[in-house]
Amino acid sequence: MRRHPVALMVGVGLVASAIGIALALIIDWFPTDAAKQAGPIDTLYDVLMIISVPVFVLVVCATLLSVWQFRMRPGQERQDGPPIHGNTRLEIVWTAIPAIVLVSLCSYAYTVLTDIEEKKPNTLTVNVTGQQFAWRYAYDQDGRTIETTQLVLPKDRPVLFKVRALDVIHDFWVPAFRVKIDAVPGIVTEVRATPTKTGTFEVVCAELCGLGHAVMRSTARVVTPAAYDSWIAEQVRGGSAGGGAAGGGDSGGGASGGGGDAAALGRETFVSNCGSCHTLADAGTNGSAGPDLTTALRGQSEDEIREDIVDPDKRVEEGYQPGVMPSNFSQTLSSEQIDGLVTYLASVSR
Amino acid sequence: MEAVSSTAGLHHAGEAEHHHGPPAAHRSSRVDPQLLGMLLFIISEIMVFGAFFTAYFFIRVVDGNPWPAEGTELPKLIAGVNTAILLSSSITLHWALEAIRRGNRAAFKAGMATTFLLGATFLFVQINEYVHIGFAPSNSAQASVFYGLTGLHGAHVALGLMILLMVTVRAFRGHFSPEEHRGVEVPGIYWHFVDVMWVIVYCTVYLL
Amino acid sequence: MTAKLRAPGWYRAALFILLGLAFSYALVGVVRTLMHYPDAWSDGNAITTVSLIAIPLFFLVGLGCFDYWFYYAAGRPTRAEDHSSHGATSWKAYFRVNTDHKVIGIQYICVSFFFMFLGGLIAMLMRAELAQPGMQFVDSATFNGLFSVHAALLIFLFVIPVFAGIANYVLPLMIGAPDMAFPRLNALSFWMLPMAGLLLTASFFAPGGAFASGWTAYAPLSTDMPLGQVFFTIGVQFAGASSIATALNFLVTIITMRAPGMSFFRMPLLVWANFSTSLLVVIATPFVAASQFFVLLDRALGFNFFDAFVGSGKNGSVLMYQHVFWFYSHPAVYIMMLPGFGIVSEVLSVKARKPIFGYRMMAFSLLAIVALGFTVWAHHMFVSGMQAWIRVPMMITTAIIAVPTGIKIFSWLATLWRGVLHLDTPMLFALGFLTTFTLGGISGVMLSMIPFDIYVSDTYFIVAHIHYVLFGGSLFTIFAGIYYWFPKMTGRMYDERLGKIHFWCTFVFFNVTFAPMHLLGLDGMPRRVADYAEQYATLNLLVTIASFALGLSMLVFLYNMVASWRGGPRAAANPWRALTLEWQVSSPPPIFNFDAVPTVVGGPYEYGVPGAVHGIFQSPTEAKPTPAGSVATSPTRE
Ligand code: HEA
Ligand code: HEA
Ligand code: HEC
Ligand code: CUA
Ligand SMILES: [Cu+2]
Repeated sequence: MRRHPVALMVGVGLVASAIGIALALIIDWFPTDAAKQAGPIDTLYDVLMIISVPVFVLVVCATLLSVWQFRMRPGQERQDGPPIHGNTRLEIVWTAIPAIVLVSLCSYAYTVLTDIEEKKPNTLTVNVTGQQFAWRYAYDQDGRTIETTQLVLPKDRPVLFKVRALDVIHDFWVPAFRVKIDAVPGIVTEVRATPTKTGTFEVVCAELCGLGHAVMRSTARVVTPAAYDSWIAEQVRGGSAGGGAAGGGDSGGGASGGGGDAAALGRETFVSNCGSCHTLADAGTNGSAGPDLTTALRGQSEDEIREDIVDPDKRVEEGYQPGVMPSNFSQTLSSEQIDGLVTYLASVSR
Repeated sequence: MEAVSSTAGLHHAGEAEHHHGPPAAHRSSRVDPQLLGMLLFIISEIMVFGAFFTAYFFIRVVDGNPWPAEGTELPKLIAGVNTAILLSSSITLHWALEAIRRGNRAAFKAGMATTFLLGATFLFVQINEYVHIGFAPSNSAQASVFYGLTGLHGAHVALGLMILLMVTVRAFRGHFSPEEHRGVEVPGIYWHFVDVMWVIVYCTVYLL
Repeated sequence: MTAKLRAPGWYRAALFILLGLAFSYALVGVVRTLMHYPDAWSDGNAITTVSLIAIPLFFLVGLGCFDYWFYYAAGRPTRAEDHSSHGATSWKAYFRVNTDHKVIGIQYICVSFFFMFLGGLIAMLMRAELAQPGMQFVDSATFNGLFSVHAALLIFLFVIPVFAGIANYVLPLMIGAPDMAFPRLNALSFWMLPMAGLLLTASFFAPGGAFASGWTAYAPLSTDMPLGQVFFTIGVQFAGASSIATALNFLVTIITMRAPGMSFFRMPLLVWANFSTSLLVVIATPFVAASQFFVLLDRALGFNFFDAFVGSGKNGSVLMYQHVFWFYSHPAVYIMMLPGFGIVSEVLSVKARKPIFGYRMMAFSLLAIVALGFTVWAHHMFVSGMQAWIRVPMMITTAIIAVPTGIKIFSWLATLWRGVLHLDTPMLFALGFLTTFTLGGISGVMLSMIPFDIYVSDTYFIVAHIHYVLFGGSLFTIFAGIYYWFPKMTGRMYDERLGKIHFWCTFVFFNVTFAPMHLLGLDGMPRRVADYAEQYATLNLLVTIASFALGLSMLVFLYNMVASWRGGPRAAANPWRALTLEWQVSSPPPIFNFDAVPTVVGGPYEYGVPGAVHGIFQSPTEAKPTPAGSVATSPTRE
């Protein structure tokens, strides 16, 4: 019956630690992992839990044991404990052991860090630009810069994201890749990831950037290398058609009947500026911060659409907030681009 | 609150005779409290300057921007003369302090007055420099740092001058004596600090 | 009437507010006219900015914070040992400029708890909004304002000042000093605090809403926010000035005014803790002042510290803000924890009836934390895009801070060992602190591991860490301290039963509120968002419900404090049989603390040493010092 309380508590502690560690390791608290970087980071978490849980359990058990064993019993109201002032050996032990544990943890974390940030051959570079409240991407392909609001990545190829910001600090984060980096005005920051799974993953802005911070999200699409190649080739073609606006020529992607050059320019402008917030079936974008323009624009005149773009806060769509859609498109876009947008949007919403 | 066990209630300033004050505090350090307070205050002042120098460091060294910004020039010479003016004010202040230590009132008053005038001249020259320097803080980050550091220092000079004015007024009213001149010594330390700080600002902003 | 307007007090203060407004208006108008700016006399932003600085200062002058110094400066007769504004005989004395450290301490505590309740209510609004995904009660601009004001109030107006308040009350008593070294400066520090609080709170009424860039106010977001941001920028200056002045006062008091016989290693650990904290404040706080100066200069005078936009050609540096800010704000988290360590040391030793285990190591570990605390700031910037090489040294120093902190935790545990534990409310909070703070500290160590931080930075994992260390750490120690010194401060006993209810509700609901946030963070929920993805809905609802229960348990505390202060049973001079000096005088203490300064003859925690005393009093009118009790017959063997 009468077991030694310390032994009992050690037993309880061991069991509690085991349960805690098991819970931490068996239940996968993380979102899907879709990049090489996820493995080492998740393992680091496991190691951290294996060390943290026993430390915490130790402190809790020692507290509980003291409360259980040494709480004041009736009759002890005026008594004191023994005047123990310290014990040098003990103090050295509990200085040295945590120090050793922590230094080893740091070394391990350091190897993980070099691992996830390793430069790899055949790296694809993607330029990411953050702006209130949208992400835009630029690929350098065949000596040409392709600007888009779609992030499409080939599977199993290392990617280097070069991140910039136009206005305030943002943070480029793909939770499934586990890595993030701030987008800082004035400098170019870098982060690396190697996607390992095809699929669609969220891109999140993780640094407070103003009132639209919560909606500054879009998606990254990881596809097979072949699919990536054909996607990028299509972009190159689309870009050349739109870029040479004066050249005329049939635009490749113009599913919008009629409208010609202006509409093609409009579509291209839409994909590279608006698609991160607006879904539009014709342009193939799927942003969700603003209204779905596939349906929202039904029955609107060109003038109304122009006003929506140039002065978005004048008439705010039900269920959305003023101030999220940038109000400076009249400055950042040329008047041809805006005309093109209006023509294009009017044509697809009919 | 309950009446406290001490018999003394609130008393009025005039009735110092049946004055019940606290027991004299025990002095557990040889350092004078006022002096220590001033030194600690100066430490925190140094840290304020430290933060502004951090800005300087980031904009000039880390980001490698040209200094001063392209197309601008800093009046090294005038500022150099101004430095000399400020430094000499430290000497006159020291002279004033030594005077009152020896009980030489006339020299003390003269010293305080010259110190004040020298400090005021410095500030005047500095403001004049702002007017004629040819760039505004909004022109570039370098300009912002320049105005930030010299302006912060200028604000300290202004504060120091206010304190010196107090001391001077009291000097002319016949306060202070060879036994009791802490009211000169402690502000004096602050003034010396302002001077030393200027030398650092001058060296880093103008000369380097 | 004119007499009232000329004497220091509220009438004159009201008059001076008007003067301040007029002054600001005139200053802006004149300067802008001289500079040939348009609308010289009608620029609302400029006038507001200047008045926010001027009006509080004018108010303080009107209230009488500066009268003595003005008299002195003008060469009018003054008496350094003037005690006419000392002590309190009625509640009205608490609304005046009072130079008694005990009055100031209580002023501090009441004001900061007022702002704690305000900040907590704001948190309740946030939690209501976060109960479900989507937008329900507030729009996102308001939400951003809510968490910014929440954090700013709780940090700058609650945790930092309430520790200053507790120490203000007990520290001079503990070291046998009749008052603080600079009583008038002390009063000024206190009165700057309500100014800061009013500024932060008033920002809700600014056009464009409250400041909404978080308590960190990162540039350049903060430089192009609406006017509300200026309220933060200036409010922080007042709070910062207040804490620097207090810290300086503590340092001078501790160094120069200890009772005879009280060597540094006979000081109670609360004194050590405040000594270390004050060092941190004096050295670090100027940096936050400067960071907000930069923002203010950028906003108000067109400076370009942070204008780094490509194409603007201004060469500003965005990361510089973060370095300057965190060089203060990391030490600030220890400013918010070390005084709590001091409180816990007092409570644990007295309530376990044992000397603090390893007293010297306890003191040295405080100093080690102070020193290390200055070398770790960039752990808040692992994903900020700063030079990559800075990260690893910062990771190592950050992790190493766990060593001195661990020394403290283990020494407290050893203090409990074989003691006689009185499990009343202060003790329960101290024990609760041991467990919750350890959890928060460990999550801190996890955060210091760069690769892990790269993933969880700016997620709810951070929010969980913040609240485990600030609520489970600082706030628990504050509660422990308030209950522990309540009899001394008010002369009344609090209600033990309500205290225990308060503890258990707080402890349980605290954990249910903040523990799930770790999981939310691991699952990828970013912080500072009003709206979130569907997958986080269940846990968030749980958190919200628990947080309401946590809020309600605060009401138990409020009721207990108010009711006991008004009608609790009278407290004895030394209800805890403690050895430190503050317990050797009546409750509440006499107006000048001691009739004669006591002499310290031994350590502060000699429990269990038969007949040991810490200090002796020459004056026979003072209460007799309480000697420690006898050693218990080994409680384990029963
Ligand atoms: C009271 C306040 C307080 C305290 C005491 C701490 C203590 C610590 N903090 Fe925390 N921290 C904050 C308040 C605090 N923090 C706040 C407010 C933020 C967010 C700011 C913002 O962005 O808004 C933050 C953010 C923060 C970050 C940045 C996260 C990010 O934004 O990405 C990091 C990273 O390293 C960190 C680490 C630590 C560490 C290592 C400690 C250590 O000091 C903890 C040491 C204690 C222990 C470890 C427990 C006891 C020790 C033992 C029992 C010994 C054995 C232990 C081991 C071997 C592990 N903190
Ligand atoms: C000491 C510091 C402190 C304290 C005590 C608290 C207390 C609380 N905090 Fe806070 N918090 C911070 C410091 C603190 N916080 C900081 C620094 C941040 C980061 C901000 C940033 O990102 O910039 C933060 C952020 C923060 C967030 C994240 C916001 C976001 O990132 O989007 C949340 C969300 O749940 C939150 C919740 C709470 C809750 C529910 C409490 C509760 O414990 C509050 C309990 C108290 C009361 C409720 C008041 C008293 C009760 C009454 C008056 C009775 C009435 C009650 C009812 C109506 C129910 N806090
Ligand atoms: C940061 C996100 C964002 C970006 C980028 C953005 N929008 Fe919007 N947009 C919104 C939001 C939110 C609304 C709804 C609120 C409003 O009407 O202002 C909106 C509304 C609109 C509307 C009105 C819809 C209606 O129902 O009347 C149009 C048209 C529109 N956007 C077009 C554009 C075009 C064209 C672009 C690119 C040049 C663009 N948007 C870029 C967020 C964005
Ligand atoms: Cu962009 Cu948050
Ligand atoms: Cu920190």
